[in-house]
Amino acid sequence: MNRSFGKLLLDSLAALVLASFAMSSFTEAAVGGSRGGGGGARAGASGGAASARAAAGGGAQKNVQVNNSRADARTNNVRSTSVNNVNVERNVNVDVEGHRSCCGGWDNDYHPVATAAAVTGAVAVTSAVVGSIVRSVPPSCVPVNYGGMVYQQCGSTWYQPQGSQYVVVNPPY
Amino acid sequence: MVRVRQIWVLGLLAILLVAPSTHAQTPPAGAAPAAASAVDQASIQALKDMGAFLQTLKRFQVSTELTGERVLVDGQKLQHTATANMDVERPNKLRALMHSSRSERELIFDGKTVTLYTPAQKYYSTVEFVGTIGELINRLEERFGVELPLSDLFLWGTPAAPLDKIESAMNAGQDFVGEDLCDHYAFRQGTIDWQVWITIGSKPLPRKIVITNRADEARPQSVSLINWNLKPTFKDLVFKFTPPKGATKIEIVQLKTK
Repeated sequence: MNRSFGKLLLDSLAALVLASFAMSSFTEAAVGGSRGGGGGARAGASGGAASARAAAGGGAQKNVQVNNSRADARTNNVRSTSVNNVNVERNVNVDVEGHRSCCGGWDNDYHPVATAAAVTGAVAVTSAVVGSIVRSVPPSCVPVNYGGMVYQQCGSTWYQPQGSQYVVVNPPY
Repeated sequence: MVRVRQIWVLGLLAILLVAPSTHAQTPPAGAAPAAASAVDQASIQALKDMGAFLQTLKRFQVSTELTGERVLVDGQKLQHTATANMDVERPNKLRALMHSSRSERELIFDGKTVTLYTPAQKYYSTVEFVGTIGELINRLEERFGVELPLSDLFLWGTPAAPLDKIESAMNAGQDFVGEDLCDHYAFRQGTIDWQVWITIGSKPLPRKIVITNRADEARPQSVSLINWNLKPTFKDLVFKFTPPKGATKIEIVQLKTK
C-alpha cells in the first residue's frame, strides 16, 4: 500500500513537472519564433531585430489596415499611462479627460472615451454616441490638429481616425 | 486511495502556502543601510559623461522601439508598441517618423519651421519656430501637447536635465543590450523610477531606457530600446518639408487649459 501510494505520488509529481516543462518550452518557442531566431538573450541581437523593424517603419505594414472594431470598450477606459521621457515637465494637475493627465506620450494616440456613458447620458443632444465607430465622416467635417492628433470636427461631434475607420470621441477641448 | 491522495495534495498545498511567508518574515540582513545611502555619485557622474557625449554628436540617426502601458480603470494593464526613427543634425535640424498601430506621424524641423505631417490622411500643420531642438521640445510640449520621441537624448547634458532632482542613484551592474555590454544604472526622482543602460567604452550611449511611473499604483512602465548610427548618410534635404501632391494644410490648435 505504502509503496503503490508512493509511486502514484511520484507519477503525479512527474506529470506535473513534465507539464510545466512542456509549457515553458512552448513559451520559449513562441518567443523565439516571433523574434526570428530564438537564441539567448545575448545572441538574440535584439538591437538588430529592432532596428530592422524600425527601419522598415510604416512601409512594410502600410498595406495592412488596423481594425479595432472588435476591441472591447473597456480598452478605452484608461486611467493612466506609462511615461516615455524623464526630463519633460509634466502637468500634474490631473484633470480627467485632460490630454496630459491620461494619454500623453508620442506612442499613445488614444483619446480617452472613458466617460462615454456619462457624457452620452447627460448630453442627449449629441448626435453620435461617443465610442461608436463609423466608416466615414460627414463632408462638413473639418480636420483639426490638436495634442499631437488629427481629429475631424463636425459641429459638436469629434472623430478620431482608427485605421480606415473613425471613432467618436469626447471633444478634446 | 483517493482519500489518501487528497490528504497528500492538501499537505503539499499547505507547504507551498507556508513556505514563502516564513521566508518573507525573516528581515533581509543589511537592507536598511543600503536603502539609506541614496545617491551614488559615480552613477551621477556616468549620467554626466553620457550627457556630455550626447552633446558632442552633431549628425546622427537614432531609432527606438518602445513598449508602453496603459492602465485601465480597474488596474488591469495593456501593453502597446511604437517605433520612431530620427535623423538629427544639431543644433536645430530634425526629422522624426513615429509609428504605432493607430497612426503614423512625421515631425520635420529645419531650424525655422516645424511641420507635423500625417501621411495616412495627407494632412500637415506648420508652425514657425526658431531655436534649438531642446527649445523646440519644450515649446511643442507646452504649447501643443506634442511629445518628441526620446526627447531626453537632447536634454541630457544641458540644464534642462537637472541631476540634483535625483533622489536615489545606484549602479545595478552590467548587462547586455543586444550585443553591447552596458553599465546599468537605476534612479529615482519624484514619482518616476528609471533605469538606463549605457554602452561601456569611449562612446557612452544609452541603449535602453526603462521608466516606471509610480504615480499610479499599477506602475505603468515604458521600455525603449535604442539603436544608434553615428555615421549617417542622409542628405540635408530630409529636414525640408515639401507638401506631397494632394496634401492639405490644416490648423493646429494650441493646448487649451480646462
